[in-house]
Amino acid sequence: MNFSTNSTAVHCCARPALKQILLVMKLTTLMLIIALVQASAKEGFSQITLHANHAPLATVLQSIKQQTGYVFVTGDIDLNQQQIDVNVKNVSIDKALDACFKNVSLDYKIEDKTVFIKTKEPSFIDKVKEAAKSVFSNIDVTGRILDEQGLAIPSATITVKGTTNATITDAKGFFILRGVDDKSMIVISVIGYEKREFSAKNNLGDIKLVISTTKLDEVHIIPYGESTQRYSVGNIASVSAKEIAEQPVSNVLQALEGRVPGLFITQTNGLNGGGITVRIQGVSSLLAGSDPLYVIDGVPFYSQLPSTGNDALLGYSGSGGYSNTSYGSPFSFLNPNDIESIEVLKDADATSIYGSRAAAGAILIATKKGKAGVTRVDFNLQNGWGTVPKLPDLLNLQQYLQMRREGLRNDNLIASGNPNATAPFKYAPDLMIWDTTRSTNWAKTFIGGTAQNRNMSGSISGGTATMQYLVGITDRHNTTVFPGDFNDQTTSIHFNISSQSANQKFKLQFSGSYLLDNNKLPATDPTSFIMLPPDAPNPYNPDGSLNWSVNSAGSSTWSNPYRNIVSNYTSKTNSLISNAVLSYEIMPGLIAKSNFGYNNVLTNDFKPVPLSYYAPEQLKSALNGASYGTSNVNSWLIEPTLNYHKRIGHGELDFLVGGTVQENNLSSQTVTGSGYPSDQLLQNLSGASTTAVRQTTISQYKYDAVYARLNYRLFDKYIVESSIRRDGSSRFGPANEFNDFWSVGAAWIFSEESIVKKVLPMLSYGKFKASYGTTGNDQIGDYQFLNQFYPISGNSIPYQGLGGLATYSPFNPHLQWEETNKQSYGIDLGFVKDRILLGVVYASNESSNQLINYSLPSTTGVTSLTANFPATIRNTSWEFTLSTFDIKGKDFSWKTNINLTIPKNTLVRFDGLASSGYAFAYKIGQPIALSQLYNFGGVNPQTGISSFIDANGNLTSTPSSTRDRNILVTTFPKWYAGLENSLSYKGFHLDVLFQFTSQIAKNNIFNTVGVPGTFYPTGGNQLTTVLDRWQKPGDITDIQRYSASGSLTNGAGISNAGISDAFFCRLKNASLSWQFPTSWSNKLGMKSFSLSAQGQNLLTLSRFKGLDPETLVIGSLPPLRMMTLGIQAQF
Amino acid sequence: MKVTYMFIFLSFFSACKKFTEVPPPSTTLVQSNVFSTDATAIGALTGLLTQMSNNQSFGSGSFATGQLSVAVSAGLSADELTLWSGQSNSSLVGYYQNNLSAANTSLYSDLWPQLFSFIFQANSAIEGLTGTNSSSLTTATKQQLLGEAKFLRAFYYFYLTNVYGDVPLITTTDYTITAKLSRAPQSAVYQQIIADLKDAQTLLSPNYLDSRLLKYTGTPERVRPTSWAASSLLARVYLYTSDYSGAAIQATAVINNSAQFSLTSLNSTFLANSPEAIWQLQPVGANNVINTLDGYYFTVPSTGFDDDRSFYLNPTLISSFESGDGRFAKWVGVYGSGSSAVYYPYKYKQSAIGTGSAQTEYLMVLRLAEQYLIRAEAEANLNQTGPAISDLNTIRTRAGLLNTTATTQATLLTAIQHERQVELFSEWGHRWFDLKRTGTIDPVMSIQTPLKGGTWSSYKALFPILNDDIKADPSLVQNPGY
Repeated sequence: MNFSTNSTAVHCCARPALKQILLVMKLTTLMLIIALVQASAKEGFSQITLHANHAPLATVLQSIKQQTGYVFVTGDIDLNQQQIDVNVKNVSIDKALDACFKNVSLDYKIEDKTVFIKTKEPSFIDKVKEAAKSVFSNIDVTGRILDEQGLAIPSATITVKGTTNATITDAKGFFILRGVDDKSMIVISVIGYEKREFSAKNNLGDIKLVISTTKLDEVHIIPYGESTQRYSVGNIASVSAKEIAEQPVSNVLQALEGRVPGLFITQTNGLNGGGITVRIQGVSSLLAGSDPLYVIDGVPFYSQLPSTGNDALLGYSGSGGYSNTSYGSPFSFLNPNDIESIEVLKDADATSIYGSRAAAGAILIATKKGKAGVTRVDFNLQNGWGTVPKLPDLLNLQQYLQMRREGLRNDNLIASGNPNATAPFKYAPDLMIWDTTRSTNWAKTFIGGTAQNRNMSGSISGGTATMQYLVGITDRHNTTVFPGDFNDQTTSIHFNISSQSANQKFKLQFSGSYLLDNNKLPATDPTSFIMLPPDAPNPYNPDGSLNWSVNSAGSSTWSNPYRNIVSNYTSKTNSLISNAVLSYEIMPGLIAKSNFGYNNVLTNDFKPVPLSYYAPEQLKSALNGASYGTSNVNSWLIEPTLNYHKRIGHGELDFLVGGTVQENNLSSQTVTGSGYPSDQLLQNLSGASTTAVRQTTISQYKYDAVYARLNYRLFDKYIVESSIRRDGSSRFGPANEFNDFWSVGAAWIFSEESIVKKVLPMLSYGKFKASYGTTGNDQIGDYQFLNQFYPISGNSIPYQGLGGLATYSPFNPHLQWEETNKQSYGIDLGFVKDRILLGVVYASNESSNQLINYSLPSTTGVTSLTANFPATIRNTSWEFTLSTFDIKGKDFSWKTNINLTIPKNTLVRFDGLASSGYAFAYKIGQPIALSQLYNFGGVNPQTGISSFIDANGNLTSTPSSTRDRNILVTTFPKWYAGLENSLSYKGFHLDVLFQFTSQIAKNNIFNTVGVPGTFYPTGGNQLTTVLDRWQKPGDITDIQRYSASGSLTNGAGISNAGISDAFFCRLKNASLSWQFPTSWSNKLGMKSFSLSAQGQNLLTLSRFKGLDPETLVIGSLPPLRMMTLGIQAQF
Repeated sequence: MKVTYMFIFLSFFSACKKFTEVPPPSTTLVQSNVFSTDATAIGALTGLLTQMSNNQSFGSGSFATGQLSVAVSAGLSADELTLWSGQSNSSLVGYYQNNLSAANTSLYSDLWPQLFSFIFQANSAIEGLTGTNSSSLTTATKQQLLGEAKFLRAFYYFYLTNVYGDVPLITTTDYTITAKLSRAPQSAVYQQIIADLKDAQTLLSPNYLDSRLLKYTGTPERVRPTSWAASSLLARVYLYTSDYSGAAIQATAVINNSAQFSLTSLNSTFLANSPEAIWQLQPVGANNVINTLDGYYFTVPSTGFDDDRSFYLNPTLISSFESGDGRFAKWVGVYGSGSSAVYYPYKYKQSAIGTGSAQTEYLMVLRLAEQYLIRAEAEANLNQTGPAISDLNTIRTRAGLLNTTATTQATLLTAIQHERQVELFSEWGHRWFDLKRTGTIDPVMSIQTPLKGGTWSSYKALFPILNDDIKADPSLVQNPGY
């Protein structure tokens, strides 16, 4: 059977290509049946009979044409040159043509009712057959391995069972096994596909493999390659596009919460574009960054973006990557729809190959790729509503007024409307000037709204055996829960083109995503104003201007929060992520490949401060102004690799060698203007009477490396893997620019041992794995080792008219990376044919050579320098995963995934800690996120003031901040977990994810705003928990008395009373979808149609008092409860 | 085939080292390129002068001027300045009552760390200038800047050793060395100062130079050090180290340069580019600082004392002015009247900040009158009473006083010390240093300190070193008594 898909024919448009692919599929299916069932194919429509001796081919074909109506296309081949003998009766067109072309050096191909004729190229099999025949007398087994779409699978392994005789397929999927005993069994195994076995025979034909459904065999990406859970040595967890699509999130990192053991994600706030911190297996660095390395399609992406200084409201996203703290998340600029899969790499085996960059783990993201097949059009529309899940219980008007009056009475003060009042009078505008009968629920006013979310996306994908494509467009529009017109508008396009040469040896892949984002927010998170006194005035005057409720001196009595709505924050971002991969198969098993990547994120932000922002008393000296920030980061990467795959003895060898060159360029600048003629001109910097440059940063980072990895798998039971990388980074001093990182790992699939199979028949899979190795952390910012000279600016008249330079930092040629030694041990077990999978991993990572701001004596002329310090942090974690395919019926299935992580962080070593500037921040043997707190001794029943137990065990109301803070508490989580259930019944699918975090955190009982009873113009309301306060001598309570003088301190807030259990269980995600029966959707002209309802952060169970146990702070918008309805249609 | 690929990877790797060498940041400069061109090299030294004039990283002012200056700390410590009772700044109170604590971290912003920061930058300049062979750095520029750097290093060390005694002698920027140094004896420090100043004398231009290091065509701004500044400081150093003939020679050289230097009227002495100025610092600062910070901090405003303006002249100093001394009339201001009147330094008349646009006064660092007094003292010590009397009278005449009545060496030396007290008050801590070097500090301060509310001990003549530095560098030893 010498059919070969003639792929050199170029199809200019989709239709012929589709026809061809359909035909290919039909024929291959047909042949599969022939090969496997050994039944003869019968073409129903044409029975051909031919009898010819030495007849010209042209004549014979003419006869076929007459009998069948098939047309022959011959090009410039002269068919009369060929004389053939043929003798067939009532056969199909294929059989007839096969007979005709048996001894001719011509080949044919049928397309519809046309037969294309071309010169025959001797096939690979023919050639090796010829060669083999002369050497062996046993049979040679040939065949071709295809995937479900009929595309060739290269590098598939074909083994003669129980022997070392094995081979791998070539680029077109063909293989030949020589000298095979015809009674033996042939085993075909490919990563990610179900294993197949056949009896040996000459020609196995086309063998289609089915993608394995067990989780163990799902293919996931690893650095520079692919693997499966079954054979992997490393500690890797995956999240698929399906799981991401079920969650209505605008930042993909949010979709990872609760899904991956060892990965702890915290949203800083619920704002559009808000900051998110990501920690893999704990915090490994005292002061440098602890962000994972993010890699999108092989190209590193930014863990942080440079701050413009206008963007602080977006919230913390980490520090250390750049010289200043950065805000917001770069992943706000990556469309979650474009992501195919996410891999979280944790141990040395998986991360050492990233060298000095992956001490805090790595997150690999693959974007969606086109697949061969019929053109597929997907359309997706979602509309959602977001609300703050829970508003805090605040004092109502009557309770607030009572608190204030009691506070004044306790301090023997009398409320006064005079701003210059002195004791015994106390200025109290909330009691004397404001309308104390007017009540506003400020929490409801500021964050009680409903955010509208709209998400539309469409994509087209398809392709042929040699070319696949995908183009997707997404448009997202999110509003906020705040009053005012604020929203985040995102439009993005993603495309991917893959192309292969006819012989499948040369491959090209090109992907890109371009995203435009326009985010508009108030200048300050309005959540910070929900604690305003309930009787705070109407924000607006009848004429629409801001009401400052002035006192007798003409000054404002409050800081009108609506000033932050006239002063807003706009951020516009363009983000491009692109890469191209070229690969060429030099010989079977040896592939040369190169990845080229380019990323660029460009942000322009703007923050105006119009005159209406200012209170009347500020207006005298205030000028309107505006701040304009730009930040631009781009990076390129070239990464050539050479991969060699070979069967050696009873095992398979995979060898990789490669190199990386990478360059990042960063620039940011913030310019401010003030004194514009009109508030209308604030967007125009040239309208400013004074301008100033607030900051300018330009930096460059270069990185290069060479690396190699060796993987050897013996009997599919024993796996060893080792990698080494030598890399150099421009961030380090010349003395230590280069270093080697390495790892070794091994796995033993003991369930393959016959003794285990006999003794433990229930055990379908069992693997021990262990790895050890080193990685580095380079998140210290650029140029830290140089002695830099800074321009002196800001002087009214420069010295001799010249700005001058100053230098404060010495040259440190020894500056180098932090090094993390990672060890990881794990066991994976599968039961009931892998329907229950259990995994346990213990990891211990020691991060040493910590980069800190090293204190130097001032005699050196500098007070500190960034230097490596002999301090060590150990992070250990126990990670458990359990996935079960509980029930799998015809119409019904139920899957469960459970993960649990128990982390522990310890400062193991810090030389000279006691005498260093960090003595108060850290303790040896304790976690590095350490709060040192007073020991709360209750409220003194006589005085009503909080008391504390000092170092000597005595009660005091004035503890010493240096001696008496002896309670040590860490805010790192104690454990965290996720529980996911997926249920399917016919077209219905329900997916529910619960997230659990056990932690201790500052509570909001003692950590809200100031001292209860005191007036604060930006918000002095309190949680209702203050109602339990001390009122009269003899009262036993933990809440000290109200005070209006401001003289009481809130020591309880920094005591062990100020912290409490902040465990929470959150229904993170629930997704219900209903796919219409195919007959219905076909009637609508669609391939499929489904409706879905999704919810995020639906329910939170926690005893934590305040807004949210994840963001913790009461002045920060919590993650929203989001509910969406959507339709998905496929054409 | 594999060999070829291995070769490609190997050659790729050899290119690695080159690849990771990034150019220095374009928003800042590093030593190697700062000192490779004229403009940036001049910028580095101008930066040092700028920081002396107003060091923003240490707050307002510097050791040279303002609230944290040596004039204030040494003046308060001696019998020269009185601290307003409302001032609560613990280090100012500590100076005034001769009650300093090494644990007081507010001393961080004072002389010690700041002078070492300047020395680090001077060393960085010396290393950068001697280490470069860049063709973009002209020889003349290199020579002048090297002279400036050595002159400034000597200047900084002069104040360090006179305030703290023995100090670490730092001539490199390598923190691995400097972080472990112990204190060098004062004699070694003076040897280094003299060596630097001798180098500076030959390297520095005799003319005042502009911001491109070219000679001024019009009236020169006297704001960059010249060889005369080096000679003037050398004369002072010789005097302090009792090399009287050396002091007389250096002072004579400066005094004889009458084309550049001459005594002027009392009211003109502290003006910008005064003919008496050997070296001045041009005032710089944010928030419209136009004239000197000394003028701002020493002048008591009509609204009275406040946290900034909290100094006035010690009554002992006021009573030591002879009647008819023009300096009392011209250089001393009065706040209040009658018995509540207090007197404050009024050498700089421009006290307002935030208004005005003309720079009329520059901070005087080295001036001719001091050279006359140096030579008079040197001559008196060499028992050349005639020339000594003549030099002393030159200063007295300018102040509108009659000639001195002192004739013997002993009376003459006393007269010269008195003249220094009333001529150089509120400038650069002269009085405190004079008390120490003439051995009169114990008798004077044991009377004065109790009047200021403290108790005197001899060890207090030296300020303490910061405790944190002693912790960070175990080779450093605290001054005895602290």
